[in-house]
Amino acid sequence: MSVKELPRKEANVLNGHEGAVLAARFNSDGNYCLSCGKDRTIRLWNPHRGIHIKTYKAHGREVRDVHVTPDNSKLCSCGGDRQIFFWDVSTGRVIRKFRGHDGEVNAVKFNEYASVVVSAGYDRSLRAWDCRSHSTEPIQIIDSFLDTVMSVCLTKTEIIGGSVDGTVRTFDIRIGREISDDLGQPVNCISMSNDGNCILASCLDSTLRLLDRSTGELLQEYKGHTCKSYKMDCCLTNNDAHVIGGSEDGSIFFWDLVDASVVSKFRAHSSVG
Amino acid sequence: MDSDEEDYVFFGKPIEREEEITNRRKKAAAEASGNLRSLPPWKQEVRDEEGRRRFHGAFTGGFSAGYFNTVGTKEGWAPQSFTSSRKNRAEVKQQSIFNFLDEDEKTELESQNLGTSSQFDTFGFTAAEYARKQANKEQKQRPSAIPGPVPDELILPASESIGVKLLLKMGWRRGRAIKDLHASSLYDARREARKAFLAFASEDTKASHPTDFEPVEGEPENFLAQPADDDAQSSQSLPVFVINPKQDLHGLGYDPFKHAPEFREKKRSRLSNDKQHGYRKAISIKDSLFGSKSGKAASGFGIGALEEFDAEDEDIYAAGYDFEETVIEEDEEPSRLSVESKKKAVRKDQGVLRGFKVATVSDYQLERFDPPIIPKDFVPHHKFPGPLETLKKLDVPSPPEVPPPDDNNLKLLIEGVATLVARCGKLFEDLSRKKNQSNPLFSFLSGGNGHDYYDRKLWEEHQKRGDQAKLSLDGKLSPSVQKMTAENRGKLLGEKPLERSSRETTSSSVASGDFVQLQFNLSDTFKKPESFNELPEVAKPFKDDPAKQERFEQFLKEKYEGGLRSMGSSAASNMSEAARAHERLDFEAAAEAIEKGKRGKESLISEQPFDFLATGMQFTSGVQEVKDTHAENLMTKKMYPRREEFQWRPLPVLCKRFDLIDPFMGKPPPAPRMRSKIDSLLFMPDYVKGAKLEEDLVTNRDVPVAQTDAQKTIEDVAGKEIEVAAENVERPVDLYKAIFSDDSDEDVEDINTKKVEDQEKKIEVATTTLNRLIAGDFLESLGKELGLEVPPDMPYSTNNVSTPTQKETPNGENAILSPLEGRTFCAPKSVSGTSLNPGQETAQDGELAKNESIPGRSVRYSSKYPDGLSENISGKVNMEKIAQEDKKGKSSSRHQRNWSSSSSSEDERSRKQSRRHRYRSSDSYSDSASDHHDRYRSRSKGRRKKSSREKSSSSRKHSKHHKHRNRDSPSRSHQVSEREHSEARKEKRIRRD
Repeated sequence: MSVKELPRKEANVLNGHEGAVLAARFNSDGNYCLSCGKDRTIRLWNPHRGIHIKTYKAHGREVRDVHVTPDNSKLCSCGGDRQIFFWDVSTGRVIRKFRGHDGEVNAVKFNEYASVVVSAGYDRSLRAWDCRSHSTEPIQIIDSFLDTVMSVCLTKTEIIGGSVDGTVRTFDIRIGREISDDLGQPVNCISMSNDGNCILASCLDSTLRLLDRSTGELLQEYKGHTCKSYKMDCCLTNNDAHVIGGSEDGSIFFWDLVDASVVSKFRAHSSVG
Repeated sequence: MDSDEEDYVFFGKPIEREEEITNRRKKAAAEASGNLRSLPPWKQEVRDEEGRRRFHGAFTGGFSAGYFNTVGTKEGWAPQSFTSSRKNRAEVKQQSIFNFLDEDEKTELESQNLGTSSQFDTFGFTAAEYARKQANKEQKQRPSAIPGPVPDELILPASESIGVKLLLKMGWRRGRAIKDLHASSLYDARREARKAFLAFASEDTKASHPTDFEPVEGEPENFLAQPADDDAQSSQSLPVFVINPKQDLHGLGYDPFKHAPEFREKKRSRLSNDKQHGYRKAISIKDSLFGSKSGKAASGFGIGALEEFDAEDEDIYAAGYDFEETVIEEDEEPSRLSVESKKKAVRKDQGVLRGFKVATVSDYQLERFDPPIIPKDFVPHHKFPGPLETLKKLDVPSPPEVPPPDDNNLKLLIEGVATLVARCGKLFEDLSRKKNQSNPLFSFLSGGNGHDYYDRKLWEEHQKRGDQAKLSLDGKLSPSVQKMTAENRGKLLGEKPLERSSRETTSSSVASGDFVQLQFNLSDTFKKPESFNELPEVAKPFKDDPAKQERFEQFLKEKYEGGLRSMGSSAASNMSEAARAHERLDFEAAAEAIEKGKRGKESLISEQPFDFLATGMQFTSGVQEVKDTHAENLMTKKMYPRREEFQWRPLPVLCKRFDLIDPFMGKPPPAPRMRSKIDSLLFMPDYVKGAKLEEDLVTNRDVPVAQTDAQKTIEDVAGKEIEVAAENVERPVDLYKAIFSDDSDEDVEDINTKKVEDQEKKIEVATTTLNRLIAGDFLESLGKELGLEVPPDMPYSTNNVSTPTQKETPNGENAILSPLEGRTFCAPKSVSGTSLNPGQETAQDGELAKNESIPGRSVRYSSKYPDGLSENISGKVNMEKIAQEDKKGKSSSRHQRNWSSSSSSEDERSRKQSRRHRYRSSDSYSDSASDHHDRYRSRSKGRRKKSSREKSSSSRKHSKHHKHRNRDSPSRSHQVSEREHSEARKEKRIRRD
């Protein structure tokens, strides 16, 4: 994907949320997307045609994150009501509610087999919940973080969490190790590169940092945007050529992965907040 | 009937049913076949001339039979004698049908039985079975039999010997009991044996028996009898030895050691030990058997001497080849051999196998070695390789007593250096001399002003250290605990080394402002590096509500100092969730506001970064280099990202769900991990150190220490006060910094260690071990910096070093510290510090000190407050910031309500009360006695519950404290407030979540 192919045109506007939208996530094949927000709903869209398909209502407070299983059959969501909801996509019913976080839940992810939901909470913990059993107790609590855990990523064997304490912690289940990479700045959002070798961490000093996962080395820093107090998502393009991040002024930034230059930016929203 | 049969022609043999078979019919059949002629005469029937059986007469027995109707035998009637005597008992024979059958009847009956014919017994099954039976019998006789080793000569080789071959040729079959097998009962056998014994014991029948015995059965077994073993006479078959005999009582194939093979070896060795004995014994017996042929022969033949030698006997002694058998026989027939009469006594011995005795002469000898010869000049003391040359130097003649130089500062400096040099060695002196060449203050090192005094001091220190070293040698101090240096630990804990702090050198002449700076710098190490000291007034948005303000401070602290939060904080709280949430939002908003204001200031400061630092430089002789902020920034950048690795244990379920193998499978569950290294190591109480120093003070109270007057009075009255002691610890940092400050790192380390101590509140268990570390830390770090090995900590010198420094800045310190306290948490509990009456025992003192002064420098917390504003990092990233900002006003009042309503215990209430006191006083720096008094009272009320001892002691000391509170209260309150504060902090932390 060259720079020219980077998206800059607004394809569709998905209207429907009655408040701030806190997260938007594509499903695994990219045909649908989910959004969630302060109106306590999760909405399923066909973004390509701009159609609102379904609304999932059960959360008592704002919904902060949502994730779909690879087979598109289940959803999980979390939010200010300290619960993680496990949904059936087609019926729109809540299959299970996981309670246990002592604070707001910032992020959720399914694992590869959709058997576990891992949530990151304001209570400085990552919690893993079992979708297969009927237990609503967490099967693992990772509480080595020193501050709020803002986002979580899962690989086949690892749980990675980014926290406001400035660390990105990788919990390797295979070898039972916790690797903590201290960035010195609160980490807002982490996302994995598609080759799985790097982690992009959005820090609250308005910097995206690219870390080599194996060595913990800082590969690159991406600056130019504003990210100081809001949780702004960041990610890499599918070919890992560019780094994408949101800015608090409502624009979206594209950086070149290697030389960290801003290759594109446009104003996508009027503002944030 | 006969005639009928004659009419028919019979082919083959008619099938006979057993029941049909009668003598008569058989005879008829035999007659028919015409082989009657070959029959023995007594079988032949007497017939008359007409072929009819001669009828003998109805009254005389019917038909004629046998030997002309007399008896069944040729000889006729032979009366059977029955004899039974005491020695030779007639036995009650069990009668069987065979006893009453004729020979021919018996053979008849026997012919009915099915059996393998010998010629097809290819594999010797019967032999094997026989052996098995034998073994069984043996087992029965002695269930715990320990089978002895089978001597080689008794094991018959698989290839048959010529004798066996011959036997076989003669019709003997392997494993065949050669005699008739009837009715062998164990009872009989025993009986026989006993009989034989008795007979033998009297030794009268010895000679006569064999003759009777010999010819009983002229069977091939005689060939079997091996010359080696007379007992074999009775054996009638070749024993088949099982090489690996089953010796236990377990089921077939059951292996009790299957899962514990280690025991198998053990048992085997035990058995073999036994066997060893058995073997030797057996051999000896054998020898004796060979040697005294006659006696032995009797033993073999004794059996059955009076009885018929029949099957039973053979069963017992069939295994006569076997050694074990011999032994067994011996057991049962103790008196058989006269030789053995001796052995009988031994048999009773404990732990010896029956029938054996312990060898009197053993060829196994314990080898004994002489102990190594200690050289005559050996001194049983370990000499440490370290530079403890003080010991050697003890004999150095003392330099003359020299009056100290007039300049008090110089004097202190000299003393300090002397102590250090005494402790760290000569090398230290050289180093410092080199470093401070240009510094006129240090001219005494190179023979300038005050050199004599320095010499003298050095000598004194050496003396002292010598004593101390001796003491410590005697006391066996373990130096291993002190291996960890402050630097190591700092690294381990991920502490950020102090920057710039070297510039804030402290000396007596340093202005009070610099002290503040220093303190802030110290505290900065545990917070954001960018944080700058700021006036506390800036960050008091909740002045109207002290409780809330306090919580706000706490909030800030935690916000900017995440590493020191505790996880357990989510526990009980007396605020409602909603209230807390609102308050937190308020706080965040306020914090942000403050931060904004501060950033502006920060930029201002950074433009002239050295303004406030410059003052501290006068003492340090310009060796220090000034780093620019850029370099520092680079430094901090270099530090990140920083990677650490810990162990983490995924739960099995998680592994399962991730379809992974649990890396900790089968391992015991881990101990609950400390929340972080910092928590685990840092929170070691500093009171231990305090107590220790205090002890030192007590022990060394009589050590002459020069003191300023003011200090002296304090020391005299409250010489053992923990606060003072703690101060002592603090001070030296400054002194050494002043002396040897060419690099910031050393200070960094020192301060770090101090910080470390500050936070060691929680883990009280680790205190004792790490106790020494703390005191030794700073010197160690110093020494490390200078490339010296620092000797084990000596309380002496620490004390000595510290006191002068303490003296150095008595007033300045107060002045400096008081604002800090005033601003933050100035110790309502200051009196609770434990100044003991001079007469009181020190032990109590120490404990009290522990109880009272839980550390945590108020300085640190206070400075944190303004610092925290530098960065607005909220765990909640302002998602609802705007929404909640307007609720601020409301929430504050609500908090207040919650706060007051939730007070439960008296203790807590009093604590709160004291906290309010603190707040009230926090704005003014007044240190007036009344204020203190007030605080004290509130505090003591709260503390009444703690421990009765404490209470009594504190009340005892109350008045005394008051006396010099004016003088030393700032410092003390500073110390004491730490505990207070820590309590409050804990409480707050809980409340927060």
